[in-house]
Amino acid sequence: MSSPSDAEVIGRSLDQPEAFGVIYDRHAATVLRFLGRRAGAEVAEGLVGELFRIAFERRKTFDTSRATALPWLYGIGSNLLLKHRRGEARRLRANARMAAADEAADRRAGAKALDARVLFPRVANAIEALPDGEREALLLFAWEDLSYQSVAEALELPIGTVRSRLNRARAQLRELLEPGGEKRVKRR
Amino acid sequence: MKPMDLVRKLRRDAAFEPSALARGKETLMATIRQEVETQRRPSIVPQLPYQDIRAALDFLERAFGFREVPNARLVSAEGVIGHSLVEFGGGVIGIGTQGAHRAVSPMRGGVESQYISVYIDDIDAHYQRALAAGAQIATALREHASGRTHRAYEALDPEGHRWRFVQLMGEVPRP
Repeated sequence: MSSPSDAEVIGRSLDQPEAFGVIYDRHAATVLRFLGRRAGAEVAEGLVGELFRIAFERRKTFDTSRATALPWLYGIGSNLLLKHRRGEARRLRANARMAAADEAADRRAGAKALDARVLFPRVANAIEALPDGEREALLLFAWEDLSYQSVAEALELPIGTVRSRLNRARAQLRELLEPGGEKRVKRR
Repeated sequence: MKPMDLVRKLRRDAAFEPSALARGKETLMATIRQEVETQRRPSIVPQLPYQDIRAALDFLERAFGFREVPNARLVSAEGVIGHSLVEFGGGVIGIGTQGAHRAVSPMRGGVESQYISVYIDDIDAHYQRALAAGAQIATALREHASGRTHRAYEALDPEGHRWRFVQLMGEVPRP
């Protein structure tokens, strides 16, 4: 017999709260990595228990027509991360420097390495400049490899809204790749 | 490079402490235990005042077999216990600070304003346990024929609260 779905486990946890531990065992590692990519190890380690505590307290509101709880957990995490925006921005800028250094270390890149030192910080700034809702959709999609449907479930949005947010984010990023693009992006 | 590929280039994993997942789970399980305890809590909870809550909790467990409710303890920054809960069977009693809510420990006030009955299954073993833990026996263990037949004894805890332990007879087969 296959193991029960997340929806079944959460349903059972309404009467048997201890059952909710299974949801942690299944998804905590994924969620911890997500929080870590966004806010760094220290913040993520502090948030993962809090995130599941909130999920446990809201388990009555979980839509049991969804088989997996992961997008729902991502959504709770996204909300928690809003309080850590400054740390997130710092980490993003550091990531941009590391990404540029990686390119520089790659000798085959040659002249492109110089571009990378300019380009990646620009990408970081452009991500930062996005409105919260667009940035969140973009990072769930690009970093966590969530489908449009899963991003929609995480952010509790219609799938069409997710699509338009991602399109806007794409357009904005594309703009900064053009000559003088950064100035235009920053003026907004 | 496409915009999404550029964004992906900025993705970096964090390096975690190996214990991070275990600590997160402890946070969750503490919340779960708390909810379980709350669901189990009876509607009426008597509150008993003590001058020394730490000693009282220790005695009530050793002598009477009560269990402190997990996570119930309220501790001040100085490490002083202000309140906790003990449970036994389906019952819960608050263990609070002498003087708080104008409740007075018999040790201070010199009177017992109430006694608490506790229904147990094996009164002989319970009596021996209480004796061994140094409980002061106020009325000896004996059978009572009034009403429903029962065996009972009364003991005083270190601060003078009176506890009556009762085993109802007839429910369990007699030897």
